[in-house]
Amino acid sequence: MKKQILLAGAAAGLALAATTAHAQSIDYGSMEQLFNEPVTTSATGSPQRSTEVPVDMTIISSADIKRSGATDLPTILSRVAGVDVLNFAAGQSDVGIRGYNQARSPRLLVLINGRQVYLDHFGYTDWTALPISLSEIRQIEVVRGPNSAIFGFNAVSGVVNIITFNPKFDDTNAIDLRTGTGESNFVSVVKTMRLGDKVSVRISAGGEHQDEWKDNSAAVTAAMIHNPTTLHANIDAVAELGSKTQLRVEGSYSNGQATQVISTFAYAAHRIKTNSLKATVTSDTKLGLIQVQGYHNDLDALTPGRRYLNGITVFSVEDLFKVGANHTVRLGLEYRDNQLNTASYSGAKISYKVLAPSVMWNWAVNPKLSLTAAARLDNLSLERTGSFPVGVPQTSNKLWDRDIKETSVNLGAVFKATDADTLRATYARGVQAPTLLELGGLIIPPATPAPVGFLIEGNPFLDPAIVTNYQLTYDRDLPSLKAKASVKVFMQKTESVKGQFSTAVVSIPATATTWAAYQYANTGDSEMKGVELAASGKFGTGFHWSADTTYTKIEDTPALTAAALILRKVAFEATTPKYRSNLALGWADEQWAVDGYVRQVSKFSSYNGNLLEPVSAYTTLAGRVSYKLQNGIVMGVDGVNLLHGRQSQAKGPSGLQAERRVQFTLSKTW
Amino acid sequence: MSISTKQLLSAGAMALVLATPMVGHADPAKDLAVAGRALTFLENGPTGRAVLGVVFDPAKPGSVAEKNALMAALGAGYAAGAVTLIGKPVEASAVGGVSGVAALYITEGVNYGAVGAAAKAKKLVTVGSDPACVKSGACVMGVATEPKVDITVNRAAAAAVGATFKAAFRMMIKEI
Repeated sequence: MKKQILLAGAAAGLALAATTAHAQSIDYGSMEQLFNEPVTTSATGSPQRSTEVPVDMTIISSADIKRSGATDLPTILSRVAGVDVLNFAAGQSDVGIRGYNQARSPRLLVLINGRQVYLDHFGYTDWTALPISLSEIRQIEVVRGPNSAIFGFNAVSGVVNIITFNPKFDDTNAIDLRTGTGESNFVSVVKTMRLGDKVSVRISAGGEHQDEWKDNSAAVTAAMIHNPTTLHANIDAVAELGSKTQLRVEGSYSNGQATQVISTFAYAAHRIKTNSLKATVTSDTKLGLIQVQGYHNDLDALTPGRRYLNGITVFSVEDLFKVGANHTVRLGLEYRDNQLNTASYSGAKISYKVLAPSVMWNWAVNPKLSLTAAARLDNLSLERTGSFPVGVPQTSNKLWDRDIKETSVNLGAVFKATDADTLRATYARGVQAPTLLELGGLIIPPATPAPVGFLIEGNPFLDPAIVTNYQLTYDRDLPSLKAKASVKVFMQKTESVKGQFSTAVVSIPATATTWAAYQYANTGDSEMKGVELAASGKFGTGFHWSADTTYTKIEDTPALTAAALILRKVAFEATTPKYRSNLALGWADEQWAVDGYVRQVSKFSSYNGNLLEPVSAYTTLAGRVSYKLQNGIVMGVDGVNLLHGRQSQAKGPSGLQAERRVQFTLSKTW
Repeated sequence: MSISTKQLLSAGAMALVLATPMVGHADPAKDLAVAGRALTFLENGPTGRAVLGVVFDPAKPGSVAEKNALMAALGAGYAAGAVTLIGKPVEASAVGGVSGVAALYITEGVNYGAVGAAAKAKKLVTVGSDPACVKSGACVMGVATEPKVDITVNRAAAAAVGATFKAAFRMMIKEI
């Protein structure tokens, strides 16, 4: 039977835009060269210069990625102001923005060319499963704060939109080889081809293996350890269907295994396979830039005892057009069908369908002031089909016939006070929908007949969390210093925080014929206030630097008790560090490049079962030294965690410790 | 970390007052690069080798200087994205008879009203770095590069010469 959850929305005068894919096919390279700065479509769905977006955004360029020496995306993202990274294991990191990070972090939306790559059954991102090579990334756009009026669910702490090179515009060819300590080995190949005058194709493939960090914890058994290993492949083809119309088809595959920390903060061996197929038609018409897109993601994930099969299909259509000289409008409509089998009990299926209209309006009031507003109305219908194991307390599929309607809103004002001074004011209302797993996809019966034992299951009545965010930003260019600086103050409130099930909190008592049940639950509200300072610049010949620090203070307001927040793994006041700070310094000439990165994270707490355990403040040093030979081959030595052989970065004594790793790299780009 | 929020704010404020913005000056070569790349965003715009007429007034030293700087930058061919621009000096009084050019670049000091009218008659796109030229409608497009790239298109002037810029480009520039 069926239910509807309408995450609906009323627009509120001004709007940014919605649906997950925007005018992604613009020629980023030509635009960037013309305007002498990165361009993006992630802020409003409309192409914009990075300095003019009405959101708080950092763009990481392909050059930044090459010089980073990083072998994975979480390491690259950890050097962005305000970003939190929990390094649980060699093959698992969870990424959050300005706090609220957790194992299987569900608050961050991650996209590749507008296709969601966060895993929809749980709402988290398995970074090692992303089917992409670092050398085919044009830029990574990091948006801080809710942006679900633009992108939909999960975009409540922020968005990471990974933009690859477009084979139509970018002739990208690269090979990368790495080997190093920890038995780490890596290979990646990217090749772009022209098939006649009208078709361009980029293919990529890669594989990686390393040993898991040494296990010194009694809480982590040998059965929980998988040495991280991944394989991935990607194809991206663009065909000219006419002078103003093009078709882009993207397909991907990944297969990997790793030691991971699941949402209860317990370690488990984990295996994951993904594949996807996406088609996008864009056309520059008299009615505007029209984009029609469809994609399907398949997930096959196995945590011991639970195999998750999740399929999501998304169709969207949008029209982006200009009205007069000063108004840009974007109209969008998105439909998504999301399905998950129940696990470990495999006799049923949880699914929902979403219909989400959206609108964005940008008004260039005058050369100094622009206003942008967006709203998205999410209309979600939940459904459950299939059977129930004997002994569960909720035995009617009609319980899942539920509608949820919520509205996401983004408002932004950008005021260029002078050529050097820019002020931004933003407001956002983001919606974090319950995941399919939380809504009932998880159902773990005990081995004993009812009423003996306890049932772990999802909760069909779980409410979405609503995140509102206010931010003021002041950016100043300092040309005489070849530098720029920014100050940001922000305030965020999360209502109806979604908590984990806890084996210490019975949600439904046992009866003579049913088990007691542990369920997910909304746990109360939480508020965060903070300030961020950042600056960057260049000096001398070939030197560059950057520095940032972000302070956040979180106050949880539990619906029941503070202890319940710990049991349900949402005691964010305790588990969020107050400071995360970065310092980077680099130098390069024609052949040599030397870069160093220092990161400091203040103390915080993690979980060991139903208890908090402290994680000490820590400082890391990473770096890269590279030399370019005359034949174009670049040799490099990269290192991470250089200050200590072993260091706790996510959990205390119950966790694995991050290890110093050094790699020798060979790469060639042509 | 024991740094207080107050200390951080103070440090940030100090950093921000350390310098004042540097006033920029027009650089003909940079303006040319922007103008050339911007022309590639015209529907059916120039690609490959295209001739750019550099309109100048021989009686105005500033105009002549800018023309000379532009011609020097153009050299034997100036690559700007998908187009390679070839320079051709055109006296302002001769615009009505000009031929074989893809667009006109109007140097500062030229009587842009007359030049713009002549260009419209020949359906030629006009570009200039003088904001007054684009504001008046004599220039279809105005470009500036200091302190940052700034492109303005006069919609009426563009329509008058039948010029249509690609939609994505229009969303990233100023239109008047």
